Amino acid sequence: MASSESTTTSTTTKVLRLKSSDNEIFGVEEKAALQSETIKSLAEDGYSEDVIPLFNVEKKTLAKIVEWLNKHASGSSKEELKRWDADFVDVDKDVLYDLLLASNYLNIEVLLHQLAQKVADMIKGKKPEEIRQLFGIKNDFTPEEEAEIRRENAWAFE
Amino acid sequence: MDMSKVLPDECLAHIISLTSPQDACRFALVSHNCQSAADSDVVWEGFLPSKYLEIVSSTTSSSQLTSLSKKKLYLHLCNNPILINNGIMSFALEKQSGKKCYMVGARGLSIIWGNSPDYWTWKPLPYQSRFSEVAELRFVWWLHIRGWIETKILSLKTTYAAYFVFKFTDYKSGFSERPVELSVNFEGSLGGENRHVFLDVPPEFDTPRPPRERGDGWMEIEMGEFFNDNGDNGSVVCGLREVDDYTSKHGLIVEGIEFRPKEGR
Repeated sequence: MASSESTTTSTTTKVLRLKSSDNEIFGVEEKAALQSETIKSLAEDGYSEDVIPLFNVEKKTLAKIVEWLNKHASGSSKEELKRWDADFVDVDKDVLYDLLLASNYLNIEVLLHQLAQKVADMIKGKKPEEIRQLFGIKNDFTPEEEAEIRRENAWAFE
Repeated sequence: MDMSKVLPDECLAHIISLTSPQDACRFALVSHNCQSAADSDVVWEGFLPSKYLEIVSSTTSSSQLTSLSKKKLYLHLCNNPILINNGIMSFALEKQSGKKCYMVGARGLSIIWGNSPDYWTWKPLPYQSRFSEVAELRFVWWLHIRGWIETKILSLKTTYAAYFVFKFTDYKSGFSERPVELSVNFEGSLGGENRHVFLDVPPEFDTPRPPRERGDGWMEIEMGEFFNDNGDNGSVVCGLREVDDYTSKHGLIVEGIEFRPKEGR
């Protein structure tokens, strides 16, 4: 696979330069970068010759995002991509949140969906107490509010 | 890190929309932030069937229903079947999956001798029936009831079962002497194996799937099942038959035939 990626680079391939919020610059082939709707509209607005500033994404997250963009523009088979994607989203929760925020901001629909699905799968079948513990969420309901919501949604707790 | 504070509402809503109605209700109890995402219209619009608006807007109560939040509408449709097709059919949702359930009322069925008042009478049963009329069997030898449903209106990739919904009057007879034959087939296909069951199970008789109480005052018996793949199989036809010439039958009240997803499939 590695050899095909390096040989397909032709003279017509345009490279966009993406700058993270902490000023790291990543060169990404246009075809890969344009999977992000946000980058696409920034490029159309005339940023394409220059550096495209991504104020909301730090370099450690942008590096992962660039990795994903390249992989998904590499022409890998469906099965190969599926395996690769499963590994890609298998990360610590904090990394997962950063990737979710970045893919939301960059508007990369496919990636956003994969990440959301990963979190959704972690939520499925769990009780509220388990979800709070897993995602570090504080219960800010009063006991009365909690009882009320439990009553309204009683069927879901059967 | 508290996920519900890190992620914006639209991200949380996206995540919850990929779970299930039950998970979304549980998620609402986690915290205030989680609740506002879990109860949002975006989430519940996704749980409603794609053509729900078309179905809801054909009813007389459509303006009240469409003004509800999507979550309230979803739960309303689970708990309160709405009448469609000029009142001869009802529509509801299966709570766990949001899949579509229909009941074809007695007036929408084909009942042999149904228009002969000597054999069958039609009457309203307010507070008991969801329909304006039910069919009550006075007396018949030849009992044959059929119902149809178009597969294109049902949820796709779903195993459905058809249920005959009925009750008895105080003067029932004939139903514990002879079993009825139940069938469910795609219209025009060769019939599969039919079921033979007693609608009124004799006391000493042991049957694996007897009629059961529905909890709404009616009984039901499963007539058979079918898999609705792409909704392009035309109609499904269900039949209930007992045509042994020697047993006269009395005292059956027909509510309709219900089509709903089999549990967990």
